[in-house]
Amino acid sequence: MRIGPFCFLAVLLLLTQGATAAPVEEIVQILRSRALDPPPESVLQTLTESNLAEGLRQIDPYARYFRPEEYRSPLSGYESWVGIGAELVPQGQNVLLSLYYGGAAEGAGIADRSRLVAIDGEKIAGWDLHRVAARLRGEAGSVIRLTLAAPGGRQETFSVTREPFRPLDVEMVPPGDLKVLRIRDFIGGLTRSALLATVDFVAATAKEGKDFFSEHLIIDLRESSGGDLYEALDTAGLFLPAGTALATLRRSGGEKRSFFAPGQEKLEMPLVFLVGPDTASAAEILAGVLRYHGRARLVGQRTYGKCTSQTDQVLSDGSILRYTNSEILFPDGTSCSGVGLVPEVVVSDQDLNLLSRLAERALGLPPQ
Amino acid sequence: MKTQVFIGFICLGFCFGGCAGKDYDPREGGFFGGVAGLSSGGYKDRVQEREARLEQLRATQRQLAAEQIGLEGQKSVALAQVGKDKGKVSSMQAEIAALEKKSTALAKKEGADKGRIAELQKRTAELKKQMARQSTSLDALEGSGLGDQEVDLRRKQLEQQRNALRREYELLMKMQMELAR
Repeated sequence: MRIGPFCFLAVLLLLTQGATAAPVEEIVQILRSRALDPPPESVLQTLTESNLAEGLRQIDPYARYFRPEEYRSPLSGYESWVGIGAELVPQGQNVLLSLYYGGAAEGAGIADRSRLVAIDGEKIAGWDLHRVAARLRGEAGSVIRLTLAAPGGRQETFSVTREPFRPLDVEMVPPGDLKVLRIRDFIGGLTRSALLATVDFVAATAKEGKDFFSEHLIIDLRESSGGDLYEALDTAGLFLPAGTALATLRRSGGEKRSFFAPGQEKLEMPLVFLVGPDTASAAEILAGVLRYHGRARLVGQRTYGKCTSQTDQVLSDGSILRYTNSEILFPDGTSCSGVGLVPEVVVSDQDLNLLSRLAERALGLPPQ
Repeated sequence: MKTQVFIGFICLGFCFGGCAGKDYDPREGGFFGGVAGLSSGGYKDRVQEREARLEQLRATQRQLAAEQIGLEGQKSVALAQVGKDKGKVSSMQAEIAALEKKSTALAKKEGADKGRIAELQKRTAELKKQMARQSTSLDALEGSGLGDQEVDLRRKQLEQQRNALRREYELLMKMQMELAR
């Protein structure tokens, strides 16, 4: 769960008031002919302008309707923003801060995945995420005091100056001497190349004789909620010989299309993915495909369980319909939808928040 | 940015070190402690001690100056590289604009494969967005400290991404040529 989408939701709510009518008939036609599993006609006929948001959700949990001014392509990648350089991660009743490498919160010395206790002296217990996000936002240069409990550590208060920030497409997170690479989103045309660049960079800047990835390349997907499916498949192709089956897309009417690893640059080091309940969609596909081929192992907790893909269709009035149009099947024909991926090494909630502990477990895995 | 702050810290620390007779130079642990043993004895010893201190001071200053020149050199090389990268991105943006124009013309052609042209147009639009993003990222890099590890990694990622986008552009060009046949 991120701070950005909350802003977006607030704007969305404001803009939808007094907006023009949605082309319901067109939406019904698209769902009837192109949805992965077209809903029965009786259900489609209940869709109206007034119940569109809720009606769509009942038909397809991932379907959304956007007016043109509200829409931002999920494939356009990170923009820069002003803030503390962190995402909010809800975990039970707690709210954790997932820090961006190079962001203000990291610079202030806050530990990754610390539990947020209070903002400017006010305890956040019982607040919903919208309220927490609203309180964290502010002008560049403004200072906020955050009281946090580090994972397995004590409570401490930090002053953080909000600043403009643009995250890296692949972050390099250093728990101690290690190098863990973190992918939060799969951005079309960018993530695979950013991963390659980061692996090269780590090798080029390593101290003499130090080969970080000789034992395992550890990729943190704990906060990776998805993104561009094709980018995830391209990334999987980096670790598999050319021609290896990656996945099959099942579409409306039983149409199927299979994808295979291309023959380009290859990375050959052993691979471990750190996963958790927020690892979803494209990230699950990447982890699932590579595990299927015995190329990667998973450490963490069961993933979210969404092996479907959505598409954004521009409607005649410029508004946008997002709907599920395909299901992704692993090479053996199974899907992760509803079941997720269960890691080889399952850890407790506390360990899931401690990157150093997870990395230790990953490095402790016997050779494949 | 962080590099500049760090250099400032080293220089400031050195001045304090000279005044207080303590080692504040974070790179030379115990350096001043080594010459402090000379301070017992007569005038000659004190002169020798001062000369020794002065010589060490000059040596450290020379070392710092050399480091700074090295860092400035690295920074100007990196800045020149960013300048070159910006040039490449601009020329790719122009090429993509031309591709977009040709795709629009292609879409109007009689008997054209509308489905494939729509795919081409969609991918060209995405490519255009990604190049705009490259351009803004390079602008941001120009104003940064450069030489900082995070900035260097960002530059490396941008370079690799630009190469990938170039390959994507070449594929789209090929697709356009096939469609135009």
